Amino acid sequence: MTTFDKNMSAVAFAEAGEHETARRILEERPAAGHAHHPVKKKSKPYLNTAIFGAISISAYVVLFTNEKLITELFTMGGWRWAYPVGVAFFFSFIHGAFGSNLLSVLGLEAKK
Amino acid sequence: MKKLLLVMLFALLPLSFSASQVLAAGEGPSKDMLKGKITAVNAAERTVTFEKDGTREIVTLSLNENMQPEEMQLDRKVLVNLDKHAESGKVMKDIEIMFLDMTTDKLFALLLIGAIGGLLSGFIGSGGAFVMTPAMMSLGVPGAVAVASNMCHKFPKAMVGAYKRWKYGQADIKLGLVMAITAIIGVQIGIKIQKYILAQFGGAGSNLYISAVYMVVLIFVGGYVFSDAYKLAKGGGKETVGKLAIKMQKINLPPMMHFKTAKITISAWITIPIGLFTGMLAATIAVGGFIGVPGMIYVLGASAVVASATELIIAFVMGFWGSVQWGISGLIDIRLALLLLATSLIGVQLGAIGTTYVKDYIIKVVMATTMLIVAVSRGAKVPGYLADLELISPLDPGALALLEGLSFWALVAALGSAGLIIVVAMIKGISADRKSQKALAEGVQHG
Repeated sequence: MTTFDKNMSAVAFAEAGEHETARRILEERPAAGHAHHPVKKKSKPYLNTAIFGAISISAYVVLFTNEKLITELFTMGGWRWAYPVGVAFFFSFIHGAFGSNLLSVLGLEAKK
Repeated sequence: MKKLLLVMLFALLPLSFSASQVLAAGEGPSKDMLKGKITAVNAAERTVTFEKDGTREIVTLSLNENMQPEEMQLDRKVLVNLDKHAESGKVMKDIEIMFLDMTTDKLFALLLIGAIGGLLSGFIGSGGAFVMTPAMMSLGVPGAVAVASNMCHKFPKAMVGAYKRWKYGQADIKLGLVMAITAIIGVQIGIKIQKYILAQFGGAGSNLYISAVYMVVLIFVGGYVFSDAYKLAKGGGKETVGKLAIKMQKINLPPMMHFKTAKITISAWITIPIGLFTGMLAATIAVGGFIGVPGMIYVLGASAVVASATELIIAFVMGFWGSVQWGISGLIDIRLALLLLATSLIGVQLGAIGTTYVKDYIIKVVMATTMLIVAVSRGAKVPGYLADLELISPLDPGALALLEGLSFWALVAALGSAGLIIVVAMIKGISADRKSQKALAEGVQHG
């Protein structure tokens, strides 16, 4: 059942006065009178954001404090195409992960 | 997904190694372009001693009549274009410093351009390239280095965007890879056409050709996409498969291919011209997606969400392959690529998130708006190129400056309006979603 279907079913039950059933559908809890286990709220990835952010910033600092040597090396051509392409891949994984976690921390996630 | 990426990379490696036989280290992307350093200047003879990159071969080059010996900078990597018409073949036509000095304002400009370009890419599947390359050139980066560095920024951004949109169930990997193969062939055809025009008509002719292609594609395709988006918006936003796509899907010409995410079964022969034209356009104006995305929507019958997501896969493959080519030539300025990536990797993910909150036709609105405004920007350059080719009388300097300004500000307006539409649509979509979630929870609580 998709989230939309679940929500619409819950609305239908709520409008019909079946509030407990609606709650159960939304929260996946047992009916009143039984022990209930509230759904755990997903915590924000603060630690991952900090870790990936630290690695990313460090990598940028290393690059720019050695920019002359790196641009010289990375533009020698031939098989050394692997240097800029490899570094671009590295940054895309690390910085991409940082970006993804940052957006989650800011509460910006895809619609479910 | 990780397995697929690895397969793609290993398939691309043999292509890139075979290309390395064509271009040896130290040579530029063409035989009339040299990469290296000036080690000495002879003012009396108006010559310089030039050390080629990689091979370290020493050659003597002559300055052209417009160059002054005191302007030559020693021991800095430069790109030299040789005058093809000179008898000796060793006269410099122009010389450019390869790597600009990074200043704070250039750094911030690159970060801003990266952010908006990334947002646009994540949302409509393409874009940014038509602004990033000219933007880098306006900061003083030589054209070849700007194109190379943009390419090296493009493929990681496209990879991250494609992954995100695949996670949201939007990207059709099979369709992306099928089109990427023909797109790469299309790039080669596009490059051949460009080189022919450059050889026959020179730089001004080449610029006119590029601008003409821009305008025809952007006005025709952009106008069509805009009118379609307008009809959708009026009609309640429900996207349907177009008549042309329905006809194309009925053509039973083996091999027939089924694309699961795009929900299309179509002859592979129909995908070939779209891929080819995507590659040719990418080689010409650096934005293949302006053909690729509308082609997937109106010819194949994919939805705007799937087409824009799948385009990112094509962009990744073409970007990676192109980066290897430019890397072999030693023209990638990794600082530029990484500064663009610093913000575009976040922007592309934000754009991808945005597509889950908006109706399909909004993607078409953003694409069409961007295309039509960029058409104005390119159109403003055309009179200048016509005057350079002596097809019209020379322009008044005031008029030329006005047209240059119009071109620049139209480009800024294209980016600005696209960014604004995306952000506003996202804010509306996210707010509406949060309100409905809250109302639902409250309604249930009060029961």
